[in-house]
Amino acid sequence: MITKDTLEKLAKKLMFEMNDDEYKTLEDEFKIILKQMDFIDNIKDIDDVEAMTYPFDLELDDSNMREDIPCNEISFDDMVINVKDYEDNRVKVPKVVE
Amino acid sequence: MTDKLIDDMRLALDKKEVTSGELFNEAILKAKKYQNDYNSFVTILDKKEEVQSETILSGIPYALKDNISTKGLLTTASSNILKDYIPLYDATVYEKLKKAGAVLMGKTVLDELAMGGTGTTGHTGIVRNPWNKERMIGGSSAGSAAAVALGIVPFAIGSDTGDSIRKPAGYGGVVGYKPTYGRVSRYGLFAFASSLDHVGVFARSVRDVSYVMDIIKGHDDKDMTSLPDDNIKYSDVLDRDIRGKKLFYIKEALENYSGSTEFEEIINNFKDTLEKCKKLGIEVEEVSFRKDLLEAMYPSYMCISCAEATSNNSNLTGIPFGTRIEGKNVDDIMMKTRTNGFSELIKRRFVLGSYILQKENQDKLFLNAGRVRRLIVNEMNKLFETYDGLIMPNAPSIAPFFDDASDRLSDEYLILGNHLVIGNFGGYPSITIPSGFVKGMPVSINITGRVKEDDFVLNMANKIEEVLGYKGQVSTNE
Repeated sequence: MITKDTLEKLAKKLMFEMNDDEYKTLEDEFKIILKQMDFIDNIKDIDDVEAMTYPFDLELDDSNMREDIPCNEISFDDMVINVKDYEDNRVKVPKVVE
Repeated sequence: MTDKLIDDMRLALDKKEVTSGELFNEAILKAKKYQNDYNSFVTILDKKEEVQSETILSGIPYALKDNISTKGLLTTASSNILKDYIPLYDATVYEKLKKAGAVLMGKTVLDELAMGGTGTTGHTGIVRNPWNKERMIGGSSAGSAAAVALGIVPFAIGSDTGDSIRKPAGYGGVVGYKPTYGRVSRYGLFAFASSLDHVGVFARSVRDVSYVMDIIKGHDDKDMTSLPDDNIKYSDVLDRDIRGKKLFYIKEALENYSGSTEFEEIINNFKDTLEKCKKLGIEVEEVSFRKDLLEAMYPSYMCISCAEATSNNSNLTGIPFGTRIEGKNVDDIMMKTRTNGFSELIKRRFVLGSYILQKENQDKLFLNAGRVRRLIVNEMNKLFETYDGLIMPNAPSIAPFFDDASDRLSDEYLILGNHLVIGNFGGYPSITIPSGFVKGMPVSINITGRVKEDDFVLNMANKIEEVLGYKGQVSTNE
């Protein structure tokens, strides 16, 4: 059984807040989700199956591996397009050590 | 003219009956005219890119989903957290289209961060269905589907993680194609769930899809999951003989749980389509699929996609980029930025993803979902030893009214409402084509083939499209 307390802890780990109405919706949704997850539990022959992480075995041969040569270099002007603030060639970011 | 097929536009351009500038202007005028009612676009361009090229697509206007990077041009993923984000580089799909001379005219609305199936959660508002404004077009590639259905552009690019191209294509009465995983580079696509994400195409005919695929497919050094090119020109093989080919459909997915007449009419439309396929010399057989796997399909998709999305989007903090809200320290900035930047739906999906990834749940949920995925793909691959493809109704209903559907999870479970995810689990090429109307709204069928057999799926779809008679269809509501 999922509790609001558990959901709040998860939201905090994810670095956002939710209001009471949103938690109520989420709690209701979790009841349905956990019921649906039971369909996964119902499958019997699952323990020896290797979990699939990509649609098919990727062909990681030479054609997929490029030479280790720098590419996609981004100019300073391009780099600072989304930057809030910078000085000379340095980006100003919020203070991380108090 | 922009509501015509690519061949018609190509001919008019080559005969100098129209210029690419005129086509671009027509597309943006139509886009602006329909924007209030349908809201297909986040950005409508006001200036045409000038690229000299001689391909089938040169001078032809098109739209890109707004989760595909365009250097120097706003790309928001329809999320407040990226509402001012300007990419630093071009996605490969955009670069290839630009090089081919295709003319970008706008960036289309999606469900926020591509995580939704309704077209209602983008930060600039809901997208409406061109056949009926009271109904949704579906998502997440909502604006791309609507722009093609409205005749604004002959083709548009979308992305598909669970059904995000094929579902809105079906609701909008246009063709939607999700190629084999790796056939089109994902470089520059904002990642939702990397093991399921595909870039694909909307158009008004299978031939037009093939023209676009011929340009955008191929190996890309910048995407290490990219496949070697198959060196097949799809538009050249659309008329190959398909007599004697074998398709199957899944018996369990066609069961009518609710007894709805709409569902019944959709099934009847599907059966009519099967009869037409048989007249083409295609063999069609009903096949039974393990029901326990079909029932576990959607929950497994939720586990995999939400978990991957939670991880992929953890970079949206407002620190390196994004709409930062200032605070007293870094934690406070991130907390405020993410609280204000994400809609409620996205937060709910991230909480679910995080729950699935918690140490105590990982094996039971995340890994078991991956195991179910493998079992489903194994079953499909076994069937593909006997059959050349899967044919199914695209969806169990016509496009829902806005009041009737939401992104809240429902305990009503319809296999037919979720079968398209099989295409993402196995990376199979999968196409949706219009097959008729129910209650005045378009309905469609879907064809899914073996991995790497994009040429066959397009060939088969083209032949079936010819006998269905909805090629080139645009909404008649406008």
